[in-house]
Amino acid sequence: MPTDVAIAPRLEITGLDAGYFGQPVVRDLNLQVGAGEVVALLGANGAGKTTTLETIAGLYAPIAGTIAMDGSEIGGRATHKLAREGVSLVPESRALFNGLTVREHLQLARTGGNDLPTDAVLEMLPELEKCLARKAGVLSGGEQQMLAVGRALVGRPHLLLVDEMSLGLAPIIVERLLPILRRVATEMGTGVLFVEQHVPLALQVADKAYVLSHGRLVLEGMAQRLRGESELLRASYLGDEAAEKITALPVGDRRNGDTEALPPKGYEEPSDRGAPDVGDGLGSETDRGTQHT
Amino acid sequence: MSSYILFLLLGLGSGAIYAILALGLVMKYRSAGVVDFGHSAVAMFIAYVYFGLRTEGKLELPWAILPHEITITGSEMGNAPAMIAALLYAAVLGLVMYLLIYRPLRHATQLARICASVGILLYLQAIAVLDFSSNPKSVPTILPDSPLHFAGVIVPVDRLWFAGLVVVLATALWSTYRFTRFGLATRAASENEEGAAVIGLSADRIAATNWVLATVLAALAGILIAPIATIQPASYTLFIVPALAVALVARFQSFAIAAAAGLILGMLQSEVTKLISVIDWLPKEGLPEAIPFIVIVVGMTLVAKGMRARGEIVVQRNPSLGRPSRPYVTTAFCFAVGAIALVLLQGSLRFALISSFVWICLALSLVVLTGYVGQVSLAQMAFAGVSAFALTHITGQLGIGFPFSFILASLAAVPLGIVIGLPALRLRGVNLAVVTLSAGLVLDSLVFNWTWFTGGLGGTKVGNPSLLGWNLGISSGNAYPRVIFGIFVLAVVCGIGLLVARLRRAPAGRMMIAVRSNERAAAAAGIDVNRTKLLAFALSSWIAGVGGVLFAYTQQTVSPPTFEVFTSLGLVAIAFVAGVGRIGGAVFAGIMMASTGLFVTFLNREFNIGKYQLLVAGLLLTITAIKQPDGVAANPPPPLVHAWKWLEARLFYKSETAQASSTVAASAGSEH
Amino acid sequence: MDAEGLTEAMPALLRASGLQVSYGPVIAVDALDLEVREGSVVGLIGPNGAGKTSAIDALTGYHPASSGSVSFDGEEVTRMRPYKRARRGLGRTFQSVELFDDLTVEENLQVAADHLGIGRALRDLFLPIGERSRDDVDWALRLCGLQDDAERLPTELSAGRRKLVGVARALAQRPRLVMMDEPAAGLDTDESAELGERLRTLPAAGVSVFLVDHDMSLVLGVCEQIYVLDFGKLIASGTPSEIRSSDAVIGAYLGKQEVASAN
Ligand SMILES: Nc1ncnc2c1ncn2[C@@H]1O[C@H](COP(=O)(O)OP(=O)(O)OP(=O)(O)O)[C@@H](O)[C@H]1O
Ligand SMILES: Nc1ncnc2c1ncn2[C@@H]1O[C@H](COP(=O)(O)OP(=O)(O)OP(=O)(O)O)[C@@H](O)[C@H]1O
Ligand SMILES: [Mg+2]
Ligand SMILES: [Mg+2]
Repeated sequence: MPTDVAIAPRLEITGLDAGYFGQPVVRDLNLQVGAGEVVALLGANGAGKTTTLETIAGLYAPIAGTIAMDGSEIGGRATHKLAREGVSLVPESRALFNGLTVREHLQLARTGGNDLPTDAVLEMLPELEKCLARKAGVLSGGEQQMLAVGRALVGRPHLLLVDEMSLGLAPIIVERLLPILRRVATEMGTGVLFVEQHVPLALQVADKAYVLSHGRLVLEGMAQRLRGESELLRASYLGDEAAEKITALPVGDRRNGDTEALPPKGYEEPSDRGAPDVGDGLGSETDRGTQHT
Repeated sequence: MSSYILFLLLGLGSGAIYAILALGLVMKYRSAGVVDFGHSAVAMFIAYVYFGLRTEGKLELPWAILPHEITITGSEMGNAPAMIAALLYAAVLGLVMYLLIYRPLRHATQLARICASVGILLYLQAIAVLDFSSNPKSVPTILPDSPLHFAGVIVPVDRLWFAGLVVVLATALWSTYRFTRFGLATRAASENEEGAAVIGLSADRIAATNWVLATVLAALAGILIAPIATIQPASYTLFIVPALAVALVARFQSFAIAAAAGLILGMLQSEVTKLISVIDWLPKEGLPEAIPFIVIVVGMTLVAKGMRARGEIVVQRNPSLGRPSRPYVTTAFCFAVGAIALVLLQGSLRFALISSFVWICLALSLVVLTGYVGQVSLAQMAFAGVSAFALTHITGQLGIGFPFSFILASLAAVPLGIVIGLPALRLRGVNLAVVTLSAGLVLDSLVFNWTWFTGGLGGTKVGNPSLLGWNLGISSGNAYPRVIFGIFVLAVVCGIGLLVARLRRAPAGRMMIAVRSNERAAAAAGIDVNRTKLLAFALSSWIAGVGGVLFAYTQQTVSPPTFEVFTSLGLVAIAFVAGVGRIGGAVFAGIMMASTGLFVTFLNREFNIGKYQLLVAGLLLTITAIKQPDGVAANPPPPLVHAWKWLEARLFYKSETAQASSTVAASAGSEH
Repeated sequence: MDAEGLTEAMPALLRASGLQVSYGPVIAVDALDLEVREGSVVGLIGPNGAGKTSAIDALTGYHPASSGSVSFDGEEVTRMRPYKRARRGLGRTFQSVELFDDLTVEENLQVAADHLGIGRALRDLFLPIGERSRDDVDWALRLCGLQDDAERLPTELSAGRRKLVGVARALAQRPRLVMMDEPAAGLDTDESAELGERLRTLPAAGVSVFLVDHDMSLVLGVCEQIYVLDFGKLIASGTPSEIRSSDAVIGAYLGKQEVASAN
């Protein structure tokens, strides 16, 4: 495992604009994931979570800004190259190979290095055991999700990106899967960034959480702290109407969007939005520094 | 008895070639999702390369006009070095073709790739004719061919070598795909490219490797068959048809089945040749070609499953669709423009314009079928042909008068359309394309060979249409081609165009598009998928039938070669690159299509491209497929868009034009 | 089964008895008996791979039942093809969404609302019937909050929205019973709660609901009657409160945490 953890975070995103056909749907995103850290990316439907993850994994080139892994720039590099360097994505569509069996998936995902053997994956996801010889296409929705996660773990990724972690999984499985994320992070030193719709659940496992709304970061904070703030979270989900409440919070958690850019539809500029936030939606470096300690 | 066995064994030769070609086709399909119609053309070209090296020590390059020969040894080369050099050459050629042509088309529709490969077929065939002439070249033997006594007959031993080679190749491929990581990766990458990327596989590199291997296989087939078949551009290129049929039996998936089916097909054909000579009530013409395909079409249809089960759904991109916004006004406008053009143009250009109208009608039949329902049919010309010949009988023997003869004859294609549509209920995509190709071929070699129906090669004359004594025909005395006939054709084609444009927004059209997008979901929305497909086939064959009747009136004599299955292939290819989901695409296709169309007539008159016609057509087809994978009409050239915008602003001074974004303009422009 | 007393008066709209679904050696659904009454919202839950989707597939005709029978509105439909069941008023959504990607959201709904047979559709081509009614489409769009996306293509939407388009399409058909396979998967908490609200209004609009989902607050919140499957077998059925306190269900499916958070 890399030793320069202290120098550069596993993943550092600065000023990222991401979107389709040159039109950003995510704007000016700043985000960090440390090695061994589990970070949740939250937000309402259509907020831009998938866009962010897929851009990090190289499926789309960033429109502006930088994405760095362990201090070196990875923005815009091909997905398969990033995958070989340890960026592992569980895509929203899962992207399984319908005609290949579960066992073949787990074999194929090996990188030839220090891989997880099939047994170790099955130990984490025992439900897959009975499906080993089935083709991925015939699995149930939840089984497919487990396979997608399992496949992503095989190569012991440096950076694990999971879109819609609990999609289609039974509550009892989710309950077991979340600690696995934690285990992966601590045992392998992986930086984990995951998207999750079930907020309380996400905050339970994550160290840190970011909330996107209409493509902008509106809230960022240590999960522990956000856990009690369900009102605030709810407000930030709804997006910019929440700005008022957010500004009412202690500095470390106060986040809102860049007021100079075009507001989204239905957006009404809150009259009392503070000038100090203009141009730097994320607060200062020291803010973040204090948060992480 | 023994002579039957002899014929069976002799068939192993061509059977082996079908099998080896089919193995390559399966590889290309499994790795890059391409059904390569140019596969056997590559085999043919490499055979010439081998021939050049072996006999004169010259290396042939894949182009014409420019210098295309490099002298290497200047004298005969040994068999082994020539063969190795030719196979290496094939590897390079394969890689270049993949990088230049198929790689850019990875995310395009299946049809875009088919069109590009048809372009390659035309190109290589044209080059072969230009560079090596169409005279057959005979090649010294490669495999040992001493006679062998076997079960009481004497067979050339090379046939057994061939069969053995097929078995070895198929086993090698099967085990590679089954047991190696490379094979597993190939299967994975073709299933889901995104999935491959996220686990670190480069779908691109995997496809390129497979492509090179498959090209080498094609080359091997081409070289080995040379001594028994003699090298000749057309016949070699035509190996693609049986090879595709064999690959179809293997569902473009199984190497073992491809190998077995190839050998069996070869033996079957050879045996039928024998049977014809013995059983005299069998038709002499076309049966050896037809029988295997009848077996394949019927067999494939019977074994195929209906609705896909879970996990069998393949996401495939479909041709992009237009959204005609003002069908009535646009049709009226087109009619006016067409009529003015008819009056302005004279002589051969006017005739070419009328021919283009007819081709537009035929291309419109594809807009319904391939555009809206996503079914590829290579039998459109057969529909047209049946109607055209039906017209000769309806007016001739039955003596039925004009408007009724027209209607009846065009409807004659419908039953055939429905029959050919039946496989579509169970087969999809490329599988269906190959089945319709085979069906078209069967019709070619059997039905269009019935002299009583077609009047033989010379064809049958068709009288002029006349309404209540008013002659609408193309000729009257010395007047030829007459404007009034052109107006008649134009009116019919505009009517059909309007129908197809309205279909896009009508419930029936929505049902069709729903079916092409997702059959499972369509059924959940209460749509009868099967009947919707059959409706599309019926409509499409009727429109093609109308085209056929117009064709008959235009040509005045109908003869079988006009309706060959390869004309259908050309029509599909051109209609596709022109934009098969749009009326504008059909119009464009009609103007570009074939030697009788406006574009070629004009080029010939002005620049005399004559013998380079195929070469140019092939190149244009491939390049357009790459540059405009959604069809020219989806992104019409900017000057046209501007012109249309300008006109639109003048013609329909509507306030909404102000807010028309560039995409709206593009789609509106594409109606022209 | 005690809950049945409540809705005894209403006739059973859908009834399955002894339903079995198998894929080769794998038995996905085993001897399932269930009933959905007109005007009710019924849930089906169970662990991953329990056979819920397989059950829906068999009930709607997408996969043949290997034994047992299904009747809809008093009519035996066990062997009926899916589109015919859909025409009779048995709608469904798919776990994997499955939209018509080439049609806009609105056209997706319109296709379902058209309800035309081939004959009428063909006649309409030559003799236009006139503009189709848009009432059902508008109703479904509004119900799912998709008005703003009506003109977009499904491929441009986020996963959550796509899911809603699937639901809206099933509703635009105005089915008598709609079977939903995880409609809330991928929806955020608010959207999911909103969906729950909308589902609750459906019986009044003449649409009964059969709901499969893993979002317990949704299922426990809107269903009157819940069936629980495990390994293809029914392990419990009853009202939400009965289900929540059933040890078998907690052990096999809910887990302790979910129960804690739901209470
Ligand atoms: N291929 C595309 N082309 C154009 N716009 C797109 C495309 N994919 C997504 N979008 C738009 O980008 C925005 C963000 O989408 P994204 O998929 O990132 O949302 P999300 O946060 O993942 O939502 P969900 O929770 O529903 O998955 C949405 O408004 C969506 O409509
Ligand atoms: N064709 C098949 N061959 C073998 N097994 C199959 C096939 N189709 C489904 N299965 C298995 O049947 C079981 C039931 O699947 P089903 O999709 O009905 O589960 P489900 O209850 O919907 O699960 P989920 O909540 O994860 O969607 C699964 O274990 C699945 O792997
Ligand atoms: Mg998403
Ligand atoms: Mg399911």
